[in-house]
Amino acid sequence: MSTQKEEPETPATVEEGVDVSEIEALIGEHVVDREDHVNAPGFVIRADAVQDVLRALKEEAGFDHLSCLTAEEHEDRFESIYHLRKYDEPTQELSVIVPTSREEPISESAEPVFRTADWHEREAFDLVGVEYDDHPNLERILLPDTWNGHPLGRDYNQDKPQIVTFEENKNPLEDDHRAAGDSDTMFLNIGPHHPATHGVLHVETVLDGEQVADVNPDIGYLHRCEEQMAQNGTYRHQIMPYPDRWDYGPGGILNEWSYARAAEDLADIDVPEYAQVLRTMGAELCRIAAHMLALGTFCLDIYGDFTAIFMYAMRDREVVQNLLEDLTGQRMMFNYLRLGGVVWDVPEPREEYFENVRDFLDELPERLDEYHDLITSNEIFQARTVDTGYLDPETAKNYGVTGPVARASGIDYDVRRDDPYGYYEELDWDVVTDDGGDNYSRLLVRMREVEQSARIIEQCVDLLEDWPEDERNIQSNVPRTLKPEPGKEVYRTVEGAKGELGIYIRADGTDKPGRFKIRSPCFCNLSALEEMSTGEYIPDLVATLGSLDVILGEVDR
Amino acid sequence: MTETPLPDTIADLLGVGGFLGEAISMLLAAAIVGTIMLTMTAFAGPWAKRKITASFTDRISVNRIGPWGLGTIIVDAVRLLSKELIIPENVDRPAYDLAPIVLAGSAILAFAVIPMGNGIHLADPEVGLVFVFAIASIASLGLLMGGYSSNNKYSLLGGLRAVAQNIAYEIPLVLTAASVVLFTGSLQMSEIVAIQQNTTLATIAGVRIPAWFAFVNPFAFVLFLVANLAEVGRNPFDTPEAPTEIVAGYQTEYSSAYFVLFYLGEFVHIFLGGAIIATLFLGGPGGPFLPGFVWFTIKIWAVYIFTQWCRSAIPRVRIDQLIGIGWKGMLVLSFANLVLTAAILGVTGL
Repeated sequence: MSTQKEEPETPATVEEGVDVSEIEALIGEHVVDREDHVNAPGFVIRADAVQDVLRALKEEAGFDHLSCLTAEEHEDRFESIYHLRKYDEPTQELSVIVPTSREEPISESAEPVFRTADWHEREAFDLVGVEYDDHPNLERILLPDTWNGHPLGRDYNQDKPQIVTFEENKNPLEDDHRAAGDSDTMFLNIGPHHPATHGVLHVETVLDGEQVADVNPDIGYLHRCEEQMAQNGTYRHQIMPYPDRWDYGPGGILNEWSYARAAEDLADIDVPEYAQVLRTMGAELCRIAAHMLALGTFCLDIYGDFTAIFMYAMRDREVVQNLLEDLTGQRMMFNYLRLGGVVWDVPEPREEYFENVRDFLDELPERLDEYHDLITSNEIFQARTVDTGYLDPETAKNYGVTGPVARASGIDYDVRRDDPYGYYEELDWDVVTDDGGDNYSRLLVRMREVEQSARIIEQCVDLLEDWPEDERNIQSNVPRTLKPEPGKEVYRTVEGAKGELGIYIRADGTDKPGRFKIRSPCFCNLSALEEMSTGEYIPDLVATLGSLDVILGEVDR
Repeated sequence: MTETPLPDTIADLLGVGGFLGEAISMLLAAAIVGTIMLTMTAFAGPWAKRKITASFTDRISVNRIGPWGLGTIIVDAVRLLSKELIIPENVDRPAYDLAPIVLAGSAILAFAVIPMGNGIHLADPEVGLVFVFAIASIASLGLLMGGYSSNNKYSLLGGLRAVAQNIAYEIPLVLTAASVVLFTGSLQMSEIVAIQQNTTLATIAGVRIPAWFAFVNPFAFVLFLVANLAEVGRNPFDTPEAPTEIVAGYQTEYSSAYFVLFYLGEFVHIFLGGAIIATLFLGGPGGPFLPGFVWFTIKIWAVYIFTQWCRSAIPRVRIDQLIGIGWKGMLVLSFANLVLTAAILGVTGL
């Protein structure tokens, strides 16, 4: 099995299932041109028809998931690419490309159709400089308001430092007493340094007594130019270490896989089956570690202080962490995947490693039972979490919510199953969903996903153990320098620990990507916070934030 | 079982009399009791808290300085006291400075009437029980002062939560204590202890079971234990501090010595809660073989470990749920307990 996809020959046969002629009939009047991306057919449309096109695609063709929005600047134009897919069938993909002139980069906003476009368009404006007409609040989202220029634009001078004195810089907390006046509400800054934000997140909250009247997450404190750093690295070796640093939760191998998948599709690289099994096992170990951390910190928010359940979760995560360290040589920044394979085989002696993994898996059900005793069956815990932070499936889809958060709202969507990669298709496991949509469901889904991950790992260990010794090929032949042909574009997603983690790469003929865009699941999930916590109490807001399990490194990138 | 109060013992020992002598022996006695309590709360308390919490959560905790890491507390105290005392702009000065003193002072003051066994008993007024509750409730004033004067929204929320919580749980607390008074017919602490010790509940296999009120009325005991958790602000009722929600509540803006006082005040309060429970429900210093003071200490520590256990294992309730439990649940139950106890006592004529 390989992740390689057939190179498209004619537009009509690009992807499994997308009926291009039908789409053309639907939005034909707005289509200016056609393009082909490796993953999906692309329709170039006029900049003033974005809402019409997306609405038609969403409501009539069923493309209800705006997975990502990539903006980029070409020599002669700006481009916004809307990556659309269906929650029911994510292999049905479409790219809607909206070019605008460089002189007047104004494009119609998609926000009225997809709520998730709100933040995505703000980011595109912030980093690339495309302006979106009809956007409710087109402000910078990642960079400070005082920033000059758009760093991913072509005219931007990367070498000129931007020094803003402390006095000049707009203090994000300065309107501390906003809404005081004669209103009955109180404005409260939660963060950027606050015990419950799990990183540096600033939540602007308006309180009515103890109840949350309005909430607005202010992100960007941990922005580390990850996209640009990837654009300055060569495909072959220099990009792979970065994904580890997005979700340091640790979603390491899961994140690496997103880049590996996109780049392997772009450069037509085969991955040996044995390496796929290794990847699958490593990724699921990471998922367990990440979910354990999510569980521990969520309980930290509910219980307060570093209580028993947090330490128990850490203790069990430590076992996984040791297994990952044995496999990859690193505790967090694994850098384990390579294009076309992985870097090491299972450590020698193999039997001992497999035994360690099996020991962990054997103990896991008992641990999970203990967690259920301590957490999910605790009445106070239920009183705190059931029916708080409710997210209904329609709103979730509108905000592009994915991962355990979406599955806890009853959306049966898992990239591992719906758009298979790696070795998942050959293995026996289930996608966990729950209809509650509340904080309790989200925790439950994560705990059940740990069980499923354990099932996957168990099967992988069996496979690896019986693999004939002369067929243990961990790396296919990949050229020392990769130079995908210019103009080739690909958008690929994998199921990260927090949800759908996507990578868009446009090749420009060199050994570095022309544009590298990260679709972060945390970014989209966090944008739904407002819907989930308005009208509830502060403790519920904190719990909801915890149940979203955002890693700010991945939100801000 | 009326023992001579400690000041009189000291006065006899020193052979002093008159007003001045009385005053000196009073002060000496207060110093002794204060030292005992502070050693227990400020020194052993935080150390034990760390060790207890650590063993609940699979950790080792302090073990580097001194035997079993005991020296850490000294180092911590020096560290905390030598830190800069940061006083934010625009705080409400007298109230801001007084708050930690009020909190710590009120808790220590209440120990004046608690009989700790072996004659360690400062005063034994006839209204002892009322005095304890009255003094202990001053603490919520300290919390409100701290929260309101800090000029910080988290502090304000914490201070308001503390008051809302203390009002909601003080009433069940006092009502449940009143059901004990129905048995004893006296508010005097020594009397309450004596009646528990001297009445026999049952004799099982030749062992006399004293009529501790925890045995006589376990329902009231449980009610009191729960209300006490809320009173001292520990899980599941630690909403006034709620570290993950409102940072540190009323003490967010306090540092250095003031913070130490707040911290100390809370610990003394937990121990005071333990002392009240021990006195009202567990027979005070009474117990076989060991001296009374040892028994008393064991009982206080038992309650302390219970609070730490709750803290490690039970989630925090939300503020509206907390108020709901207090006014709709605890209050009704404590009234029911009081009325039933009164009715049973009236009918049986005990």
